[in-house]
Amino acid sequence: MSRAWLAVLAAVVVLPLTVRHAIATEIWIFAIFGLGLNLLLGYTGLLSFGQSTFFGSAAYVAGYLLKQYAINVFVALAIGVVVGAVSAALVGYLCVQRSGLYFIMLTFALNQMFYFIAYQWTTVTGGEDGMPGIGRPALLGVDFRNPLAYYVFVAALFLLSLWIMKRIVESPLGKILQAIRENDVRAEAVGYDVPSFKLLAFIIGGGFSGLAGVLYAMLFGIVPLEAIGFVFSGNVVFATLIGGSGSLYGPIIGSFVFIWLSESVSVVWERWPLLLGVAFVIVVLFFRGGCVEAWARFWSWRERRRALEGIAQ
Amino acid sequence: MLYALMGLGLSLITGVLNIPNFAHGALFAVGAYFLFSAIHVVGNFWLALVLAPVGVALLGLAIEYAGIRPLYAAGHDYQLLFTFGLSLILGEGIIVVWGPIGFSQLPPSILRGGLDLGFIFYPKYRLFVMVMAGLLVLSTWLFLEKTRYGAIMRAGIENKEMVSLLGIDIHRLFTAAFALGAYLAGIAGALTAPIRGLSPSMGVDMLGIAFVVVALGGLGNLLGAIAAGLIIGVAQAVVALYWTEASVAVIFAVMAAILLVRPQGLFGIR
Amino acid sequence: MALLQTETLTKAFGALTAVNGVTLEVQAGTLHSIIGPNGAGKTTLFNLLTGQFPPTSGRIVFDGRDITGTPAHRIAHLGLARSFQRTNVFPALSLLDNAWIAAFARGRSWRGLVWRRSDGYAEVAERARAALADVGLADKADQPAREISHGEQRQLELAIALAAAPRVLLLDEPAAGLSPDEMQKMVALVRGLKGRYTIVLIEHKMDIIMGVSDRVSVMHFGSLIAEGTPAEIQRNPEVRRAYLGGMVAE
Repeated sequence: MSRAWLAVLAAVVVLPLTVRHAIATEIWIFAIFGLGLNLLLGYTGLLSFGQSTFFGSAAYVAGYLLKQYAINVFVALAIGVVVGAVSAALVGYLCVQRSGLYFIMLTFALNQMFYFIAYQWTTVTGGEDGMPGIGRPALLGVDFRNPLAYYVFVAALFLLSLWIMKRIVESPLGKILQAIRENDVRAEAVGYDVPSFKLLAFIIGGGFSGLAGVLYAMLFGIVPLEAIGFVFSGNVVFATLIGGSGSLYGPIIGSFVFIWLSESVSVVWERWPLLLGVAFVIVVLFFRGGCVEAWARFWSWRERRRALEGIAQ
Repeated sequence: MLYALMGLGLSLITGVLNIPNFAHGALFAVGAYFLFSAIHVVGNFWLALVLAPVGVALLGLAIEYAGIRPLYAAGHDYQLLFTFGLSLILGEGIIVVWGPIGFSQLPPSILRGGLDLGFIFYPKYRLFVMVMAGLLVLSTWLFLEKTRYGAIMRAGIENKEMVSLLGIDIHRLFTAAFALGAYLAGIAGALTAPIRGLSPSMGVDMLGIAFVVVALGGLGNLLGAIAAGLIIGVAQAVVALYWTEASVAVIFAVMAAILLVRPQGLFGIR
Repeated sequence: MALLQTETLTKAFGALTAVNGVTLEVQAGTLHSIIGPNGAGKTTLFNLLTGQFPPTSGRIVFDGRDITGTPAHRIAHLGLARSFQRTNVFPALSLLDNAWIAAFARGRSWRGLVWRRSDGYAEVAERARAALADVGLADKADQPAREISHGEQRQLELAIALAAAPRVLLLDEPAAGLSPDEMQKMVALVRGLKGRYTIVLIEHKMDIIMGVSDRVSVMHFGSLIAEGTPAEIQRNPEVRRAYLGGMVAE
């Protein structure tokens, strides 16, 4: 087992001991969400600014079914994955033909479409008030209303997601997506139908987002309207970028930093999104490349210093 | 017509600067709030209507100079994050300064009430806005088509290397384009205030629509943005007559439908 | 029998006819060169052959099968591989992965696409390594493509095409932008490939062509003006007038 996995496992164990269970759980949920985006952003080079479409749609559909029919947890999760993937297929189909700014704008505009549907369809979604009353049905005698039990459940699902994503990025598909990111013209010329592969990446990413959405709804017992809003889409882009989009583990680090950041600033001031915006701007202007790169830079700096010291002696 | 104004400004920014400007909606909202405050300070609607968008343009100038300029080489992801962060700052800043509760703003007394057009009774102020926005779109269009600066800006959309080869300072062009785009967003916001009132979320709502207009009109296609803005405005107005709740969602549905048939947008070239 | 042929192939971009009524037959196992000055429409012809865009009129037949208008990625599967005039590789990927991507695309099956580990495809990796060895880059397999020299990137360009185990290899000015030394190396490389593959070679430098080609077609302003063995082409008065004169002066 690699060092990265050991670090992740250690984090899973240590986290609930140091922060509130709800926050610890949210970190892993957000990490799943980030994993899905990173397949698009980091591996395929597609900047989707509409990931909350899939997150929110899945949360609403599965949340509604949980609320009305108290369905089995695993059924709810499966439904979430399917809803996330299907909505991603719809959005992706419209977007993958385009690239660059167009692509970004379209993912965003379609996100807004879903947002306004949720906003207006108050009988189901509750509109601005959100959709409350989502329970966490017990499974095999385990009561998920216990925060620690739910944390363990989410953390296990996160590890499963991470393992699945690791397999995907190490599969031929992972390589092909990277080739498309690097040079889509050549990828097409050697025999890959680029739009189809982009769509596939979208669908997989949507599935992960959907899973995260359902877990989120069950964590807070409510689907807030924000869960399908564009700020949420922006947050996951931010988290993935500060974590470092070039690496499989980047979004996990990003999720930590982001949730920690937003939790701590939200305690300080009611208008915390303003501080968050300031954080975005600072990161963009001064810390491009994210934590992973900052870390790598720090290491190479240390190595160089050591080497210099070696010479000095 | 207001959509056309927003779309035109955004299309200018995305076209010339090649960045996703997610702060465009926030600039729109700031324009409305600037108007609101300017009226309180100077006590005159007309003067405030002149001042507010200029204020937004200055804000745009500062944003471009301090924030966006270092990011031209950085890739869309970071540009997006920056403008997105900016829109959060501006949006929340509005709440901090003016409070979370919206305001209503009365039109100037001369434009209150309605006008009987024979077949329909139409509010005077709305007519004024239509004419105003029409004039603005027209004058922007004339500026871009007929003046030297306008020609440079259009050239900046087509071919940036060419422009810098001609010895024109590309950075000044970018700054000017951003400021002009911001001005258009600001004046759209200011004009909107007496119709829909002011609320902190007004910028975000408008942002999505502006992107739809640009996507349909074609990136950097200014005429396309104007036409798409009109189409979207009319479509929304028609739907609003029959099914008010859906009138916003319908904008996006129209876009999705058009893109299914014509993936390059209505007037898209690229 | 002709492995690849075109019938009055034409491509117009607005008022400009880049390829005009080109009828061409490439025999299996030969090295067929297409020469002509820059702007004669050679690269456009390649783009048509590989499906980058559809022709305005005319037909393309590959191995008895009409492939006119087939999208690029399908044509690649049929075994038409090309190199690009401007280096067109995957910069952040290792050399091996560059070739691997092309080799996998032509693989017999994509089973396990999403799930199997990519290092589990022994024959794909073997073909990718063989392609790198063919162009003399085997020892740099693990370096990212962006870190190697320009000359080596041209070799990699060729390796990507070879890794696809092509039935027809379309080479678009493989020696473009190379130093004299590197060019000698590239010519030797192409010579080494001759006989193993059916090759269509675009070039505008005469000296490279004449030594290696079995047949030569001359393109001028979008049309073919002559075809024959290298010796015939050198003697052809029309070619000398339209093209060689200019080249000699150069």
